[in-house]
Amino acid sequence: MTKWTDLQSASFLESNARDRALGLVDEGSFTEFCGPMDRRPSPHLGVLGDAVEYDDGVVTGVGRIGETPVFVISQEGRFIGGAVGEVHGAKIVNTVRLAIEMLDAMVAKNPDTPEAHKPIVVFSFETGGVRLHEANAGLLAHAEFMDQVQKARGKVPVIAVIGSKVGCFGGMGFVAAAMDAIVMSEFGRLGLTGPEVIEQEMGREEFDSSDRGLVFRTTGAKHKYIMGDCNFLVKDSVAAFRAQIADLAVLPIADFEAMRRIGSEAAVDKQLALVALAVELQPKDSLDVWAHAGNEAPAELNDAPYEEFIAKAQRLAV
Amino acid sequence: MEDIETLVGRGREAIDFIVDADSFEENTVGALTFDDPEFGPGAVCGTATLNGATVTVIANDAMAMNEKFPVVYGGIIGMEEGYKMAKSVYASITADADKDLADKRAIVLVVDTPGNGPGKVEEIFGMNKSTGAYQLALAEARLKGHPIVAMVIGRAISGAFLCHGLQADHILSLDANFGTMIHVMPLTSISRIIRKDLETLQALSTGNPVFAAGPRFFYELGGVQELVTEISGMRDCITKHIAEIRTAKAEGREDDLGPWGRGKLGKERGGRVVRDEVMALMNEQFAAVADQYTAS
Repeated sequence: MTKWTDLQSASFLESNARDRALGLVDEGSFTEFCGPMDRRPSPHLGVLGDAVEYDDGVVTGVGRIGETPVFVISQEGRFIGGAVGEVHGAKIVNTVRLAIEMLDAMVAKNPDTPEAHKPIVVFSFETGGVRLHEANAGLLAHAEFMDQVQKARGKVPVIAVIGSKVGCFGGMGFVAAAMDAIVMSEFGRLGLTGPEVIEQEMGREEFDSSDRGLVFRTTGAKHKYIMGDCNFLVKDSVAAFRAQIADLAVLPIADFEAMRRIGSEAAVDKQLALVALAVELQPKDSLDVWAHAGNEAPAELNDAPYEEFIAKAQRLAV
Repeated sequence: MEDIETLVGRGREAIDFIVDADSFEENTVGALTFDDPEFGPGAVCGTATLNGATVTVIANDAMAMNEKFPVVYGGIIGMEEGYKMAKSVYASITADADKDLADKRAIVLVVDTPGNGPGKVEEIFGMNKSTGAYQLALAEARLKGHPIVAMVIGRAISGAFLCHGLQADHILSLDANFGTMIHVMPLTSISRIIRKDLETLQALSTGNPVFAAGPRFFYELGGVQELVTEISGMRDCITKHIAEIRTAKAEGREDDLGPWGRGKLGKERGGRVVRDEVMALMNEQFAAVADQYTAS
């Protein structure tokens, strides 16, 4: 296993799910739930003749950042694209449930529990959503997760972390959007419909799914940052993600409401103003929206390295 | 009543089979009105009475096309539709904010949708937020005491079903002989994507509820509470479930309802048993270390 100190400087993009989970919390603080030693593979893949993983493609557990208990969910894209089946789904849902129960128990015991002692949830996404091999169970798990996100509101901050190869798509694309805060590196991608399906629907002239630049401009982190769909854009290292989470971990829960994109009527009204803008602009490319947001040379900005991008990017104001 | 074989594509007609005669008032929920007929036309939102009690109704209109968003037709939920549905839910919550639990209006979702808007503009502006917004609104309404019943009358497909249906307290479905479809993706597409031959998948789809399509398999999984065998039976069945849900909420049995309740039901019916084992193991493992993570 990679040493914790080495993990910190590692590329988040290149890190596997377990290294991300271990590296995002304090050294030696992580306890895994339902890990590989517990041997809980999917019971539904064997009939299809497919290989299984003993953790079903997701690492779940609890660690600590300073005094804050941090419940971690970390998906492994190298196993069936990080897709959600019955076991995987049960693990991610129950992790949030455990965090809420921990908070409830803490507050019941001591109503004045300091914010920094209260748990948070961090979800490192790498997934295309429902696992087709056990699609119905995966679908139901998505709904359960959304329910837990709402149940965590005002109690436990639930933070999305996106910077892995597969990105965060399908049903997990709205699960991430529903969370309190979203942290991405520039390699992160977030959306609902994958590029191939858009091409199939609209034709190649409108959307060429083999055009990596176009795919990144449409769902990539820089675009999501300008749109306000990701709150924080960090560099591609485990340490950078960890530092951002550490900043968030000590905030009062009320501070997260302002970071949300959706989850209240006021937020919906803001989004509707954006939808009206979509109708008005009829953008052919996300860079049209960047220009509208006040970025004079959007193509150059898109190519800019991290520091320059952060310094120059004008975010869309609603 | 004429002899109807299917309600697929007929969301507006389905509303009339469910609510009190001539009671449905479209585009009004509490203090909210939708005045622009071109706004989110694929979503039918309004207020009706059911046995005299006020209910919010949210349905899909498969005949409508959203002229501003060409990928939104045939019951697809686009960005405007999702937010329109969310607004209707928030308006229901606001209208009953001061009412007792027993008097919170029910919300009836009439489900016939094949998908969420799959376009480029949708991805640029974030279709994921629209469908997510509606789900959070429904979850909030459910947790604030509004009974929510989803009635599947046609297509309940994948992300669109997650959006419009799967956050309800109870889900009912017309039985398969009415052409109702509940699934993530047709077998032919699954076969292409996961690279398994169609024959293998067809064999699997005759008996494995975690994989197979249709309301009966979803029933086994706990995803559908009850199958409705007659179109004329929808109204009474919804009424019955609203009453059951109210009782459960009054007794504080929130965990018997909604997505978590469907997890319990899936175990009872034998369709989803591993979920519970995994959760029980995790609970045990956390209990063993919880003290280490609680700052003193």
